[in-house]
Amino acid sequence: MFAIVEGPIDVGALISGAQRPDCGAVATFVGTTRVDESDGASVEHLEYEAYRPMADRKLEEIGAEIEARWDVRHVTIAHRLGRVDPGEASVAIVVASPRRGPAFEASRYAIERIKEIVPIWKREIWSDGYIWVGSQVDTRP
Amino acid sequence: MIKVLFFGAAADRAGTRETELDVRDGATLAEIWPLIVERYAELAPMRDTLAFAVNSEYARGNDAVSHGDEVALLPPVSGG
Repeated sequence: MFAIVEGPIDVGALISGAQRPDCGAVATFVGTTRVDESDGASVEHLEYEAYRPMADRKLEEIGAEIEARWDVRHVTIAHRLGRVDPGEASVAIVVASPRRGPAFEASRYAIERIKEIVPIWKREIWSDGYIWVGSQVDTRP
Repeated sequence: MIKVLFFGAAADRAGTRETELDVRDGATLAEIWPLIVERYAELAPMRDTLAFAVNSEYARGNDAVSHGDEVALLPPVSGG
């Protein structure tokens, strides 16, 4: 299941949905919104936007790459759009495999590939401006 | 006519998310870029960081576009 969603991600439900009798391992990676601080200012929340449906398709491609490389029986990736408050999950990856090795490796691979090929962009909203992460475009003093 | 979409920092710099450009059939992305910058000069410094997509798939500067295509300007992705 590959989903780009506007609202909160129910990580528990994604994990439950991955548990299967033919798998002995479910690995989960959850990316959460971190509050960075500098120069007396701090991050208040993040905002995500995506190029759809390209982003949806790229998530599916990552799923296919994983299934071609490892013996996994279930892959779920959910990514949020819009405003994400501090500490909330912005992305969740859940992989089930008969054995733990492939589950760990595939979940790590998924988050690295998301950061390489999926057209999603993050803007940090600071108390004194904003920053487009990865681009040198910002309004902070 | 092609449709040009802007995302993230590129939309911010351009001050818009979408425009239309009149280009000849078979024009390459490298040929279209100056036309985009002519209209949105603030994008010029971003050239080396931007990727292109044509009809929702990554494309390179020497790839050509046709009437009705959708070209997207993609800043470095930053999901996760």
